[in-house]
Amino acid sequence: MHTTRNRAVLFLCLSFLLAGRLRAQNLAEFQKRVTEFTLPNGLDFILLEHHEAPVVSFHTYVNAGSVDDPCDKTGLAHMFEHMAFKGTETIGSKNYIEEEKALEAVERAYNQLDAERAKGAAADAERLRTLEGQLQAAMEKAASHVDVNAYPRAIEENGGNGLNAETSEDTTNFFYSLPSNRIELWFLLESQRFFNPVFREFYKERDVVREERRMRVESNPEGKLSEILLATAFVAHPYRQPTAGWASDLDHLRVADARAFFDRYYAPANIVIAIAGDVDPAAARRLAEKYFGRLPARPLPAPLPTLEPKQEGEKRVAVETASQPFLAIAWKRPDQHDNDDPVFDVLSEILSSGRTGLLYQQLVRDRNIALSATSISTFPGGRYPNLFLVWVAPSSGHTNSENEKAVYGILDGLKEKEVDAQTLKRVKTKLRAALLRQLDNNTGMADQLTFYRVNYGDWRKMFTALDDIDKVTAADVQRVARQYFVESGRTVAFTVAPKGGAQ
Amino acid sequence: MRRRLALAFLFAAALLAQSPAELKFPPLAPLRIPHVEEYTLANGMRVYLLENHELPLVNGLALVRTGNLFDPADKVGLATLTGLVMRTGGTTARSGDQLDEDLENIAASVESSIEETSGEVSFSALSENAEKVLSVFHDVLTEPAFRQERFDLAKSQLRDEIARRNDDPEAVAGREFNNIVYGKDTPYGCQVEYATLARIQREDLVAFHRRYFFPANILLAVYGDFSTPAMKRKLEALFGGWTGSQAAVPPFPAVRDVPRPGVYLAVKEDVNQTVFSLGQLGGVLRDKNDPALEIMADILGGGFSSRLFKRVRTQLGYAYGIAAGWAAAYDHPGLFEIEGSTKSGTTTEAIDVARQEVDRIRASEVGDQELETAKQTSLNGFVFHFDTPGKTLSRVLRYRYYGYPDDFIFGYQKALGAVTKADVLRVAKEYLHPEAFTVVAVGNPKDFGKPLSALGLPVHPLDLTIPPPVP
Repeated sequence: MHTTRNRAVLFLCLSFLLAGRLRAQNLAEFQKRVTEFTLPNGLDFILLEHHEAPVVSFHTYVNAGSVDDPCDKTGLAHMFEHMAFKGTETIGSKNYIEEEKALEAVERAYNQLDAERAKGAAADAERLRTLEGQLQAAMEKAASHVDVNAYPRAIEENGGNGLNAETSEDTTNFFYSLPSNRIELWFLLESQRFFNPVFREFYKERDVVREERRMRVESNPEGKLSEILLATAFVAHPYRQPTAGWASDLDHLRVADARAFFDRYYAPANIVIAIAGDVDPAAARRLAEKYFGRLPARPLPAPLPTLEPKQEGEKRVAVETASQPFLAIAWKRPDQHDNDDPVFDVLSEILSSGRTGLLYQQLVRDRNIALSATSISTFPGGRYPNLFLVWVAPSSGHTNSENEKAVYGILDGLKEKEVDAQTLKRVKTKLRAALLRQLDNNTGMADQLTFYRVNYGDWRKMFTALDDIDKVTAADVQRVARQYFVESGRTVAFTVAPKGGAQ
Repeated sequence: MRRRLALAFLFAAALLAQSPAELKFPPLAPLRIPHVEEYTLANGMRVYLLENHELPLVNGLALVRTGNLFDPADKVGLATLTGLVMRTGGTTARSGDQLDEDLENIAASVESSIEETSGEVSFSALSENAEKVLSVFHDVLTEPAFRQERFDLAKSQLRDEIARRNDDPEAVAGREFNNIVYGKDTPYGCQVEYATLARIQREDLVAFHRRYFFPANILLAVYGDFSTPAMKRKLEALFGGWTGSQAAVPPFPAVRDVPRPGVYLAVKEDVNQTVFSLGQLGGVLRDKNDPALEIMADILGGGFSSRLFKRVRTQLGYAYGIAAGWAAAYDHPGLFEIEGSTKSGTTTEAIDVARQEVDRIRASEVGDQELETAKQTSLNGFVFHFDTPGKTLSRVLRYRYYGYPDDFIFGYQKALGAVTKADVLRVAKEYLHPEAFTVVAVGNPKDFGKPLSALGLPVHPLDLTIPPPVP
């Protein structure tokens, strides 16, 4: 814990002291509370002790996301995420021996239906109807053996908090918190779902995932714009694939696909787990060995071979929507391991942090041509070369093109003149304080520890990344702006009123 | 040797628990509830301090007895604008833009807003800057300058929000359900329009602030890395001289319980999914039946284990989102609402299944396991009300603000543990009136399979047209 002694000398040099204190106090102090170990099968654990309250947060970070979906099976990583809540042989079944037979019958019925459908125009309509009926009946029979939602129920009735999962282009994450006396429950449940997951209720869950796509993309103008932006900006690299999956791909996903994805990407060495809170490291290690030790070691998936070719010219794409306008401008940038990675973070802060960000000040506050304007330094993920994104909601009576010009004006300013020292210092101070503000949050810390471990090989990067940020100079900012904010690397996606007039 | 090793593995596997029921848990460590120091300044401002040195941060919140429920009917938006411009319009000493720079330079913030039943001004600072930031916080709270150019900007932003208010179907369904159930001509159900905004002038904001922001009408909480005696001296020096006084603020307007049964359909042609909400007026947290109602709503639609989730999502695959909540408010009836979304073609079916589940929970007792799951979910999760010291402070503050006893949460926990199946059935019958439910659907009826009229309720069109700005 820090002392109050430092305060006497505060006035000497505020910002130096701030940086110094956070570094010395927190990384050194923090490190004492961290235990890391790797099981023989390759599964890595990071434990963070924080005994303020008898609660503990768990975060499982799988280094696989929709970027790993086969191109004719988009949405698969996300589909598997949903299946990871369906239980196992011992959790979620009334009688697994019978259920297993019934699940096999579902697959057989589906295979027959698929074979008939594959005949295309020559398919027999009557036979299709019969086979569809048989599939329905098989699904109903399998469902009769299910103890519905037993897996999440076990978490809920033990006081589980914040139970959820997320899939993105790069990753799949599973997380929740428990009262700390129930820590063994998490070991049991989490190890089971990655040891012997049962793909029950698959085709109903596929419908649920399809509904999720309707909600997030098809009935949401910003979701539509984001999807078309990625599909336009990338021609080869799978960042072009939507995490939600293309609708027609979803309609054809099968149990075998999810099983293959699981086998390939859920290798123990491809997963990092963090446990933060009221945890005893020695006891947790024993439980980890006991429950997760049985997961067989498997080879890591081969790296993605596809590289996005160099973009040679601006791309523009319009989306018709009855909603008010939105504008997205994105520039190609290198991946998160590039030396300029921290410079992009600084640039994004300069553009859109708080009310001192240039986008807010110029587009919203001074010219009032936008209701909101923001930037994201790494989109849609950082594992591979990606995009620096600016997202604008124009204000009433102002257009996308007016805002687009204004954004270019701001960027031209950054290219022409070095950013002032005060701004650069402010950005660095804010990034450091942002880390400090989440240090007492178990959930957030568990998330961050796994992220840095997987993406940079060491959780300490959470702290040392700030040192990289500190080294960014005004000349770096100018150089990177000049190098990357160029027309030939740009994709612009924007909404337009549907033909036939606005509503 | 090899063989013995294999045997040892088998033995270990046999010991491994296979299902949650096989596990035994040690008792949970006792809750440590931090002491909140409470006192009142001579000017009537009540102060709540919670010292905690885990991180070098100081955070604070002034809770002000006001709310947009006090907006005059012809100037809806006044409270919201006042809350916005208090901060962006700067103080007597410094412009809003200067505040932006000064605060962000030291990674601090001061923010203000006025919601339905409270006003809030908050700050966050690294402890070494606490004094500097507290002084800005004081100025924003007590002497905001409401500069004209930032007032104009905020007004323009609210106009933009009006223009965009029909773009997100979920927002439309939630808003329309709220407004219809409370009544569109009441403070709980009215909304900001171009016309009401146009009538609001800068002077109105100044007057609104003067009326509600006075010491005896404010609860001030400060949390974090400070010494309590020093913080007391600091607050006395800052706020001791603030003497403004106004007549006591009246109670918030009462909610009128006027059922508005029927199906209200808002047409959006650019979607392929219907967002729906159905339900009625709910209850107040201090109602003695509230624990049983919360359990009832939890079994109906609370989580993965609930009836609606199991049936509408897991078994039928109709919805991604489907949930029900009793959502009692502290001081006025909240909303009992079932909300979900489904592809256009199953709109009527999904709403019908939701209604069937309401009928079912009113017709017969819930199962033993359902009741147990709902209770255990809440009782085992109780510790999460206490997992950060800040939550304790925030709870004390809310209880004081709305006049609840200190130990309310413990009495509530006890009552929750005592709820029986008979209680759940009794409150479901007594409180839920499905024949009078308001049903809101936002979607594209061209693609509905069965028409909504198949629900057997009158279908009223909902006109989303935004009344144009006054020239």
